[in-house]
Amino acid sequence: MIPRTLQITLSVAVICYFILILFYLKKKMLELKYTLLWLVAGVVMGIMIFFPETLVWFARLLGIESNMNGLYVLCIAFIIMILMTLTSIVSRQQMKIRTLTQEFSMLEKRIRELEEQQDSGGKSRESD
Amino acid sequence: MKERAKCLIIIPAYNEAGNIEKVIDNLIADYPQYDYVIVNDGSTDATKKICERHHYKVLNLPVNMGIGGAVQTGYRYALENEYDLAVQIDGDGQHDVAFLDGMIQCMEEENADCVIGSRFVKKEGFQSSGMRRTGIQFLSILGFILTGVRVRDITSGYRLVNRRFIQIFAQDYPADYPEPEALVIAAVHGGKIKEYPVVMRERENGTSSITLKKAIYYMVKVTLAMLIRRLSFGVRRQK
Repeated sequence: MIPRTLQITLSVAVICYFILILFYLKKKMLELKYTLLWLVAGVVMGIMIFFPETLVWFARLLGIESNMNGLYVLCIAFIIMILMTLTSIVSRQQMKIRTLTQEFSMLEKRIRELEEQQDSGGKSRESD
Repeated sequence: MKERAKCLIIIPAYNEAGNIEKVIDNLIADYPQYDYVIVNDGSTDATKKICERHHYKVLNLPVNMGIGGAVQTGYRYALENEYDLAVQIDGDGQHDVAFLDGMIQCMEEENADCVIGSRFVKKEGFQSSGMRRTGIQFLSILGFILTGVRVRDITSGYRLVNRRFIQIFAQDYPADYPEPEALVIAAVHGGKIKEYPVVMRERENGTSSITLKKAIYYMVKVTLAMLIRRLSFGVRRQK
């Protein structure tokens, strides 16, 4: 079992965590799509804290002696998962930026050449 | 008579203000039969200005994307403008366009999809340092193990591809240090790859993109990239 004081501290922490996420979501500083994993992590943490039996069960399942260590393992697992999603999001965005940049350069060339054509066309008409 | 294949020369240039004028003027004067396009990869020097002053055909990338992104821009351009062949050369005057005719001929005769200008077939001209050659040899053998295709000058940036591979590379081209990985892509797509002997010059101005410091990173990254390429194509290898 986890000590009562710790349980209260962690509960407050999880509540703050949720408030922070909701705050960011409300301000549209976070895309809901990317916060789903954060929310799931928060819910699991909440369950573990409010129903410590689940934490005990989880720790036994993995063969961890101390319950608190079980909680740490869980935290680290979530953090790694979230970081991996972030890396994958960055990679996907990089690919999109690449395509955009390439398309941009081709459009820029077309515009530049059209303008040059127009300029020279205008000048030749003037000289007529 | 068969219509002459439309060939585009792709010249990626990053801070090549010192070389670009000579390379392009030489190209326009001596090889008017080829079209060319410079891909200015977000240069911070006068490259862009020089190109625009001379009205060169240039694609300006607003940010630096690395050689892979720049070359791919060229392939996309080739695809959009329906070129039959595309050849990439370096913007620093290392690669001599004089060999291009021979490369195109080699492609037609051998019915190849991809022809690589290689300095190690005849071992003439600039051969680069011993350490680099060892690295290139390692990658070349790795490429052979992975795909069964032996390309001696696997890091050569002088390569000619046909329509089919213009399309493939326009869609999928590695980002940085792309040459060996691109060959694995070509090989796993079932492309026929040929090497053609060329003589390369030592660069005149500017520095090579690979300094000694980056060499280790280069080897690790390229080796991994080749392995992953090969793995992800594993099942689809045979067409």
